[in-house]
This record gives sequence, C-alpha cells and structure tokens, in this order.
Amino acid sequence: MTATTDIAPFKAARRRPGERRRSRIFLTLLLALFLVYSFVPLVYLVLSATKSNGDLFTTFGFGFGTEFNLWQNLSDLFSRDNGIFSRWMLNSVLYSTVAGLGAAIFATAAGYAFAKFKFRGRDLTFGLVLGAVFVPQTALVVPIFLLLALSGLSDNPLGVILPSMISPIGVYLMRVYIEQGVDDELLDAARVDGAGEFLIFRAIVLRLVAPGMVTVALLSFVGTWNNYFLPLIVLRSQEYQPITVGLSTWYQLAQQGGGGGQVLFSIVITGALISIIPVIVVFLLLQRFWQGGLTAGALK
Amino acid sequence: MSNSSATRPARAGGFTSRKLAPYLFLAPFLLLFIAFIVAPLVYAFYMSLFRDTLVGGRQFAGAANYVKVAGDAKFWGGVWNLVLFGVVQVPIMLGLALLFAIVLDRGQVYAKGLFRLGFFLPYAVPSVIAAIIWGYLYGPTFGPFTQMAKALNLPPPAFLSPGAMIFSLANIVTWEYVGYNMVIYYAALKAIPSDLAEASRIDGASAWQFARLIQLPLLWPAILLTIIFSINGTLQLFNEPFLMRFLARDVINSSYTPNLYAYSLATQNQQYGYAAAVSFVLGIVIAGSSYIFTLITNRRRSER
Amino acid sequence: MTKIFNPLGRTMQRRDFLKVAGAGLAVAALPAAVRAQEPVKVLLWSWVPDLQLQVDMFNAAHPGIQIELVNAGQGDPEYQAVRAGLQAGSGLPDVVQIEFQHLESFRQLDAFADIGPWANQHKAEFPEGTWSQLGKGDVVNAMPQDTGPMAMLYRKDVFDKHGITPPATWAEFADAAKKLHAADPNVFLTNALFSSGDWVNALLWPMGWKPVTRDGDKLVININDKIAKDFAAYWQDLITAGVIETKPGFTNEWYTGLDTGRYATWLTAGWGPVFLTSVAKTSAGQWRAADLPQWDASKFVTGNWGGSTLAVMKATQHLPEAAEVAIWLNIDPEATKLYTTKQFFFPTTKALLSSPEWAGNKMDFYGGQAVNEVFAKSSNAVAPFEWSPFQSVIYQSMADEFGAALNGNGTLSDAFDRIQDAVVAYATEQGFTVA
Repeated sequence: MTATTDIAPFKAARRRPGERRRSRIFLTLLLALFLVYSFVPLVYLVLSATKSNGDLFTTFGFGFGTEFNLWQNLSDLFSRDNGIFSRWMLNSVLYSTVAGLGAAIFATAAGYAFAKFKFRGRDLTFGLVLGAVFVPQTALVVPIFLLLALSGLSDNPLGVILPSMISPIGVYLMRVYIEQGVDDELLDAARVDGAGEFLIFRAIVLRLVAPGMVTVALLSFVGTWNNYFLPLIVLRSQEYQPITVGLSTWYQLAQQGGGGGQVLFSIVITGALISIIPVIVVFLLLQRFWQGGLTAGALK
Repeated sequence: MSNSSATRPARAGGFTSRKLAPYLFLAPFLLLFIAFIVAPLVYAFYMSLFRDTLVGGRQFAGAANYVKVAGDAKFWGGVWNLVLFGVVQVPIMLGLALLFAIVLDRGQVYAKGLFRLGFFLPYAVPSVIAAIIWGYLYGPTFGPFTQMAKALNLPPPAFLSPGAMIFSLANIVTWEYVGYNMVIYYAALKAIPSDLAEASRIDGASAWQFARLIQLPLLWPAILLTIIFSINGTLQLFNEPFLMRFLARDVINSSYTPNLYAYSLATQNQQYGYAAAVSFVLGIVIAGSSYIFTLITNRRRSER
Repeated sequence: MTKIFNPLGRTMQRRDFLKVAGAGLAVAALPAAVRAQEPVKVLLWSWVPDLQLQVDMFNAAHPGIQIELVNAGQGDPEYQAVRAGLQAGSGLPDVVQIEFQHLESFRQLDAFADIGPWANQHKAEFPEGTWSQLGKGDVVNAMPQDTGPMAMLYRKDVFDKHGITPPATWAEFADAAKKLHAADPNVFLTNALFSSGDWVNALLWPMGWKPVTRDGDKLVININDKIAKDFAAYWQDLITAGVIETKPGFTNEWYTGLDTGRYATWLTAGWGPVFLTSVAKTSAGQWRAADLPQWDASKFVTGNWGGSTLAVMKATQHLPEAAEVAIWLNIDPEATKLYTTKQFFFPTTKALLSSPEWAGNKMDFYGGQAVNEVFAKSSNAVAPFEWSPFQSVIYQSMADEFGAALNGNGTLSDAFDRIQDAVVAYATEQGFTVA
C-alpha cells in the first residue's frame, strides 16, 4: 500500500533531529494537559480526604486544610454505623471477584462454542447475545426485581452476582480471540488422540486464551464494582449493599442533612477515595494481561 | 499428528461428545442469559401491555402504552436532550481518544506508560463516585473553581445552571470514558502490521498522512464499535444526572433523560406498565439509531 | 420527610430479613401448643437511627412480644419495598415507618390495618392536628412518632445590624426582605425552598389550602385555587424584586449560606433547630427562634413539614401484638423521652410538648433561648390537613414545575396551573373520578 500523494522521495518525512524532539515535546505537553485533566478530580479527592469537615468548604479546594485530618476521617469512616463501610467494601470485593471469575469462564466457554463448533442456530444465538448489549438497564432492573421478589430471592446478593456474570462483550471478545488464537488442527489432533471435549477445553484452549480471559474478568470486575442501579433496586438490606450504593446513600443523607449532617460530607469523600483503590490495584496488577488481551480482541 | 495406542473410542468421554459439546459449553452462559436478560425482557414486555391504576388495579391495555409513549412530549424531550448531548460529546470524546491512541502508538512522547495508565484511571472510578466528586468541583458558591475565579476577580462559572448543565454532564462522561475508548483504539493500532508504517515512511508520507490514509481506514471497525457503544451509552444516561439532581433539583427534572423518566414513572407514579413501555421504546430508538448509523457509514465506505 | 440527625453517628443493628423469614417459617411449623409459649415476633421496618434502644426497652417490658428491627431504607427505597411487597403479596413487615404525608397513598393501596380498638383510648394524648392524619373517623392506621410544626429561625446578629425585628406577619416579612436586601445586597431575608415540595406544602397548609380532597367517591383537585395564586403572587413578587433567593436546599452551598449569614432566616420545622446546629457550626449563638409569620394577625395557625408514623400493615398475622408495638413505642414516657434526647425528634405527645424539661431546654446555639417552646406552641396550632392518595406524584410535579418557573418558564402562578393540569391528568388516568 503506497502513499497516494506524490511527495518526491527526497522530501521524505525524515525530520531533522531538532524538529523531531520539538514535536515530541509538543505532543508530550498536549498529552500532559489531558493527564492533568484526568487527575484533577482524583487530586481533589485525595486532598479533600485529608481535611476535616469544617475545612472542606472553607479552605481552597486544591490546597491543604488547616490540619491533616486523614486519620480522623478514616477512623470516622470505618466506625460509622457499626463499621458498615468495611462490610460494603467486602461486598463489592466479593461480588466483583465472583462475577469476574464467573463471567470469564462462562464467556470463554460460550465463545469457544461459537468459535470452534458449527451447530444449528449458532449465528442467530450469537446475534441475540450481542443484541443484549443494547437493552436499556431500566428495562431490565424493575422486572428482575419483581421476578426475584416473586421467587423469594429479593434482597439476596445472588440477585447482583448472577446477572453480573453475563458478559456479552466477553463472549464476543473470547470468540474472536479463540478464532484467531486457537488452531483447529491442534484441537483435531487432540480429538484424534482420544481426548474428551472438556479435557481439550481445559488443557488446551484455556491455556491459550488466558490473556483474553483476564481481560474479560477485568471488564466484568470493574463493571460489577461500578454497578449502581442493579444493586440499588435489587438489594435492600444495608449489609448486602456494595460500596456504590452504600456511599451514595450516605451522600444523599448528607445532602438531606440526615445522620449527623456535616460530618457525613468528609466521610463520603474519604469513602470515595478508599472505594477506588481496589480497582486501581487490580488494574495495575493485571496490566500486562489486559493490554495483551485487548490486542487480539474485537478489532477485525 | 501422533497416533499412539489403541485408545481410539469413537466416544470422546461419554457425555462430552463432539456433537453435544457446543451446547454444553454454551449452557452456563445461556442459562444465565435467559434467566436474567430474556426472561425479564419478556416479563417487561408483558408488563408493558398493562396499565397500572390506583383505582381498578392492573388492566390490559394492549398497545395503548406504546401509543402513549409515541406522543409523550416528556419522553421525546428527554431523547432530544441526549441527542444534543451526544452530538457534541461523542465526537469530542472519541476524537480525543483517537488522537491520544495514535500519538501513543507512534511513540513520539515521553512517559508513554504513565499516560496510558493515567488516561485509563478515570474509568476505574464508579460513575456514582465521579458524579459526587464533580458535584463538589462544580459547587457554585464554594467549589474550588469558583474559589479560583473569585480570587482572580472573575465571575464564578455557573456549571449547574440550566444552560450549562448538559455540558457539565458531558464533561463528566467524557472524563470517564476517553481512556476506555483510547485503550480500544490503541489495541487496534497495535494490530496493524508494523511494516506498513515502514513502507509508508519510505514512500515519503508524513506521519499525519499515514494516520489519515492508512491507520484510520484500518481502524474503522474499532471506531464503528465505539461509536455504537457511545450511542448506546448516551441514550441510556442515568447515573450522572440522577446524582446531579441533588445539587440542581430545579434544572434536572424527572424526565431529563428517558431512563430517569422511566425510573420516576416506576417509583413515584407507580406506573410500572408504562415505565416498561418507555424502556422498550428507548431500546428501539437505540437499536434503530445504531442500525441506521451503520447502514449510512457502510454505504459511504463502499461508495469510496 | 423526617429529617434524621444523629451527631453521635451510630445507628441500630440490622437484621437479615431472610433470617427473620426463615425463623418465621420455623415457628409456624411448630405445633400450636408449643407456639403459644413462644413470644410473638413482630417485624418492624424503620430507618430511625438507634431505634434499637427503644426496641430493647419494649422487648424487656413485653416478654410475650419481641420486635425484630430492620432498616429497609430511608423514605423512598423503603416505600418501594412496601409497594413491591403489596404487589407480590409477601415480604411485608408487621409495622412500618411511614411519613404522615404518604399515609393516604398507602391507604389507597389498602395497605393498613385498623388499630382503632387499641389506639383510640390514647387520642387525647396527642394534638388534634396530628391525630387527624392517622385515619378517618374511628379508624386509626398508625401512631405518630415525630412531627415538624413550622416556625422561623433567624439570625439575631443580622437583624440587629440592620435594625430589623422578627416579622409577625407576611406583610412585615415582605417589607423586611426588601429593607434587608437594600441595605446589603449580599444578604437575603431567606432562601425559599421551592425545590422541596413539602416545604411549599407546609407554607400553604395554614392558609387552608386543600389541594386534593375526597368528596364521597370523587376526588376534588384544587391545586391552583385562589389560595395558591395568592401564595404564588406573594413569593413571585419577592423573587422578581430579587430580595430572596431560591436555590435548592440541603446542599453544601445552602448550608454555608445559612452559616455565613447570607440567609437571615430559615422557615423551618421542629426538627430544624437541632439540624441547624450540625450544618451551621460557626454561627453558633447567633440564631433565635420566633413564630411563623401569619397572614392574619388575629389568628395563629401553622402547618407541618415532615414527620413519621409507625403504621400497622393489613397483612400482619399478629394484629394485637403489632398494634401494641406501634402504640407503645410512641406513648411510653421513657421511650418517647428518649426520642427527644437521643434521636432529637420533635415530640408528638402533649405530655412531652408541655414538659418543662424538654420545652424549657435552653440551647446555647440559640443564645440560651428555649426554642422548643416556640415550636411546641406551633405544634398546638397546626391546622388539619388532608393528604392526596398520590403524594409522590404531586411532589414530583411541584419540583419539576417550580424548577421550570424559577428558570424562566413562566411565573409561580403558571407553575401551579401546570401542576393542576398534570395532577388532574394523572388522577383521571389512574381511574379516579375527578370532580
């Protein structure tokens, strides 16, 4: 594929070293500007978490307060309401981890089925699965709630975990990943050797698509961690709620002046800071995997 | 192809025969899918055929709810709000994501890894938390930007005023998702063979010509994907306006977005059937828009 | 809406609802004779902080009845759960906390039992305005837990600085507003909370506003009557003159506005004084309480903003026990006194309202004034009021339409017209016969 312009060869896009460095600096600055933008709210979050309630609104937002109040804020945060915050964090970790693992496994299995087998209704089913992405969440949440209530499962963590294990994107990603990354010949060879389908899946396919699986697990982990509407409607007891619902309840309480009024604001902001740490940690730990996983995914 | 011993049973492990296998692999996902997506959808559709009244309970209404939605100014007003929102926000968000992905892929910056991670970080923040933080930042009397404006003797920025609210919300969504889209583009760029870049440089194309004429066309599937997701996300906007309501109850009313409308119909008005119909019509609008968009762009591309 | 404030920041234990259901099933499976010796379990849903204290007191005093307390959400989330339970026919508690303003809405859904036989003997212990909301005639569906009679909190320092005395009538209020703002453009007599439908309702209440009443089988909807129009004209005048603000309430901006003296008064309810102490800390000692301004100087009548009841569900299997729970928790002298000192509720019983200990409590935040007296006086002057069977819809419409009006889409009077149209349309569509 040649360039369609008629730039003479000697005008090749070879730049002089000075120019290249200048454009490098310029681009770096441009990106740095956006990085600042990305970080501004997070910096505000960190700074605000160190302030006492009185300082929150009287001192400059992007500066420090009159005293370093982080430890007090943390202590207030974890002791409030008999330590329900820890419970909320635990819930989020539990739901997200289980959902992430489940989503990865189920999506991989399903993607494998779509990728490497021919069966009746395959394309139709796949189309339906993808179509599910476009279903508005409000269309689903209220019926899910009513269905759960009718079957006696309302206010049960399963009502959050199970739906979160459904990852149509994951199925799509894994299908593509498996199509590209797993050779048919390899599978056939194993079959000829007498290996059962499940063994093939476990021993061969899973090993090959591990990065993709991590991507799906990560996406589902984050999606479940950040999910607000589903747990809001489906869970009622405070002790089952994940961190998103719990914190926003306190936030609304603070706005309405309930529960100690102002003290709540500093707790909410400190809680917000704590609540994003696990996801960031998970990102950092799994960085190499998901970037590799996404490479093969989807983009054909 | 090793062909060892005598173990050559036609079976391959009892119930894991090759024929049955795809169904078994599909089963766990499909079961959940049916239980939590298909079944509720069917139930929601069923509900949408009924009217809930305080006097007289639930009555069959057939298509009456859908007819009502078609003529419901609040619903279409909400859709229009989001169309305006999307027309501005989506190109900016995707444009920035594309720009950053290309620049990072090219490698002509320092601290690439830092940028990649830093841009993606906002995606890790739940939208609820993001809305809370930006709510503090937008504070009209005591938020930090207002503080800075006052210090400089400038009028305070009115983020939460009726005229600005859409942009303030758009800002939050952009902040949250530029990194996510960038990662998708970046991965797609990495899939482009590197000898193409070499070849084009030898041919004398500048960096930006390479981007425009080679990378973009190859990136098109990814771009189309993100556009469709963005249309979907935009038309379903709920979390951010829901939380901003507490700060600006007079600006964000109960039908600001279609999802907010459906939510208030169900929870305040107890009109569950009508809320379900609203959700379905929204789904049709979303699917329709995506489909039309795909058609238009495909036709445009094949005409080239 | 009941405003809950708890500076100590602790709430009660939660119990797993599933555990209760399971326990309930187990108990039901026992033979009747054995069951008779088991205490009756009454499931109570309430979001009141630290209610476990009063529950423990009850449990100690009633070996045969034991309360299981669950916090099923504050306000709307709990109401949604109740509605879902009514729809599904299961999953309902025996006793549930319902705000006064939503009692009628749940009556419409036939949610309540009649505890009149047990409750009516206590009628004289409560002010008339309070009792009248609990049910029609001899029927009683709920017991009052806390209320919010209206009065005015004001900044003495701001008033003194500009030579203003607490206005006794609305005419004086308007004059004071203009005078104050003219003297200092950064100060407003008040921030009118049009963002809160229940606040608006509370001010229309003493004017004799009857937005939605029942006339036999029919519903009479008079939202945009002369009273509303007079009210709208009054406030529109002040808004147009720019002498009051109308920012959304219960935001950081608003709290700081109260604290810094930007707003010289707060027209608020009985739970207001304690609430203010937690959101306006630096202005401690500057506030005072005074009577709510009156339209007619010769009469003294007020309205109510917020307050909750404990209602007994029709679906309960243990009506006498549930009735006892709802009643005892709201009349027992020790338990109700604890509400005022622990949860800082505004009391509902005449006994407490007139007790020297509570009414005479001098608060430093209010310069040593016994503010409760002011609100107690108001409590005895609250007029009767009839709530609609779809109060959420009305509040929603008010928020939408007042918001629109304040942002330039017509006047407050137009807003009332639009609300009237919307509510009539809703009521008709919902099957009511609208007179």
